[in-house]
Amino acid sequence: MATPKRYAYHVEAAALELSDRPRRFLEAFAAILRHGSYNLALDTYARMSAKCGRCAASCQLYEATGDPQDIPCHRSELLLRVYRRYFMQSGPLKARIFGGFTLTDEYIDEMADAYYRCTACRRCKATCPLGMDHGLVTHLARWVLAEVGVIPRALVVSVREQLDGKTHNTSAIPLPALKDTCEFLSEELHDIYSVDIEYPFDVEGSEYVFFPAVSDYLMEADTLMGNAAVMHATGASWTIGSHNYDGINYGLFYSDRVMERIVHQLVDEVGRVKGRKVLVGECGHATRSAWHIPTFIGPDGPPVVHCIQYAHQMLELGKLKLKPEKIPESVTYHDPCNIARVGRITEEPREILKAICSDYREMTPNRTKNYCCGGGGGTVSIDEIRAFRTGPLGMRKADQIRDTGAEIVVSPCANCKKQLRELCQDNGMEEVQVMGLHDLLLKVIDFGTDGGNGAGEAQEGDVDEESEPTATGAASSGGVGVTASAQSGAAGGPDGEEG
Amino acid sequence: MSTWLHLARGPLFWTALAFMVLGLVRQLGLTLWETARVYRRAGDKDLPVGRVVRETGSWLVPVRHFGKRWPYSLTTFVFHVGVILVPLLLAGHVELWRAGLGISWPALPNVVSTTLTLLVIAAALALVLERAIARASRALGRFSDYSLPLFIAVPFVSGLLVMHPTWNPFATDPTLLVHVLSADVLLFLVPLTKLSHMILFPLTQLVSEMAWHFPPDAGSRVAETLGKEGEPI
Ligand code: SF4
Ligand code: SF4
Repeated sequence: MATPKRYAYHVEAAALELSDRPRRFLEAFAAILRHGSYNLALDTYARMSAKCGRCAASCQLYEATGDPQDIPCHRSELLLRVYRRYFMQSGPLKARIFGGFTLTDEYIDEMADAYYRCTACRRCKATCPLGMDHGLVTHLARWVLAEVGVIPRALVVSVREQLDGKTHNTSAIPLPALKDTCEFLSEELHDIYSVDIEYPFDVEGSEYVFFPAVSDYLMEADTLMGNAAVMHATGASWTIGSHNYDGINYGLFYSDRVMERIVHQLVDEVGRVKGRKVLVGECGHATRSAWHIPTFIGPDGPPVVHCIQYAHQMLELGKLKLKPEKIPESVTYHDPCNIARVGRITEEPREILKAICSDYREMTPNRTKNYCCGGGGGTVSIDEIRAFRTGPLGMRKADQIRDTGAEIVVSPCANCKKQLRELCQDNGMEEVQVMGLHDLLLKVIDFGTDGGNGAGEAQEGDVDEESEPTATGAASSGGVGVTASAQSGAAGGPDGEEG
Repeated sequence: MSTWLHLARGPLFWTALAFMVLGLVRQLGLTLWETARVYRRAGDKDLPVGRVVRETGSWLVPVRHFGKRWPYSLTTFVFHVGVILVPLLLAGHVELWRAGLGISWPALPNVVSTTLTLLVIAAALALVLERAIARASRALGRFSDYSLPLFIAVPFVSGLLVMHPTWNPFATDPTLLVHVLSADVLLFLVPLTKLSHMILFPLTQLVSEMAWHFPPDAGSRVAETLGKEGEPI
């Protein structure tokens, strides 16, 4: 299915054959403006954009390339120009007086490249005096582009399988294969930790229905073992739905229309198994999409809990017991933009890491000001732009990691992890290990006695509704309090200064 | 000359002022109205009010945002302080309001006004220079981004000369005319240019937040409008 290469990324052949794109683009834009709520922001931005250039210094890409086309405000202006000309009252008048801009095929191509050079990480928003959210403009522009077929093939193929395919997940993992994987993970847990942990399927009435990035089942065995171990050790009532077990939502990256459908599909599965809450695995964009459940479902949708928030809470409550030994390697933490940018999840992972690692180091800047890994906004799935991702787009992150000198980079996000691994490989840091937070947590969970009777019996299908900890090993460690033993490493500190 | 002056200070000024006020009120009204509409239609009505207020506040007095480009930020800050305070609080202006409308408020001592005026003029020049020198802002700059600060400086320069006749190489009346006319034109320009941020600025953080609060079915409605419902991915 080789297609002629028109953009830095591959699109499907049909997209390249589409005729009359400017008209279609404007029609789609009009429909989106009519039914969506974007015009408020576009109006405001179009009126006030100061073009001061402050945002430039905050974007990892512009810092690396120094190319004016990579200035956040310049990129947003591409769409704003279309908006002003065709959708603001003064547009046609100004066009008549000053000679106007006309949307052309070439202009659409320019946008197609520009909006996939931005990872929509929203780091630049914090530096704009006018609060312009370029991540939002990128998000919207990609939706309009998608309506004229401009979608990276890597994304659309996955979504097709997730929404229209047989397996209903982006990695096309059939249920039997998934169950095999889970059995294998259970055996691993048994062999390494002498503990019997099942991955429960379709347990009706469970408190938590688990949605990791489905790719974790292929690539992140340790993260998933950690997830199951935490649920087991805390006696949680949880399940995996057999009709839909994928938290990934690429709609966030290219179309609200798609995002809406995927969120509905996810919530339907929670309803089918009569679950009460959505437990999201270690995946940034899956979490942010799940946080949009109220957007698409309203206030009665299931609450969303991130697995790190869960683990953190259990540690605080003393329901998750840890061994006294700590992780000896030096560890640093990369904040996934989608959970950290607005400050929703920044402290819990740090408190856990400080409690379980003897040498925790901050990278600077961090938390809400952290640099994107360079693979955000779905770009990490686009293999053909790897050199760009691990080059200019990821250079800042590579420097940050190098500066910490850490042996392990922890990031609770499937996308960040893939990108960070490639980044380390391509930037001469092969020795750095990239892993999830639950991978490390798994190593220090105290399952109680050596048998496997830690939090035991409740897992066999009929899950303990009260989610009371049944751990018998409470005495052994005295429970490493999350907040109690925060041993910060070398550079532990507050948010770094912005660049 | 005096007829011109009379015209500029009288009808022209009031027209420009009314144009600006009405224009800004319209923009404010539309923005608030639209914000309320977005909220009404939003599926997720949970707004992070605290964060929005904090962010808005932090930009109203943006000292903590100065960062690496602090010379530019400081220039901008000084420029804004002067541009807001001098027209409103200059003793001569306060006196005009008192004479014209019978309302009055405390004025700045003249030495402070003069200092601020000098700072505004210097800052306007510096802004243009900095824009031309710094790579990113040079790349982004439109004609209006250079011309507006310079144009804003005109009433300040002429005002300074009117206030200090000994520094003024020109006759007083023409200087005053330039002062009043340029101010009138500026008032006209406010709602038509990026200067409208003077009223919309406090709403921008809220606006950006609201934009993420989509209507629940916007996607399916778009599909319907475009005739794409049921279309395979
Ligand atoms: S959202 Fe991120 S990648 Fe995009 S322009 Fe802003 S800082 Fe750069
Ligand atoms: S900081 Fe804001 S106004 Fe300034 S150039 Fe960037 S987006 Fe435009």
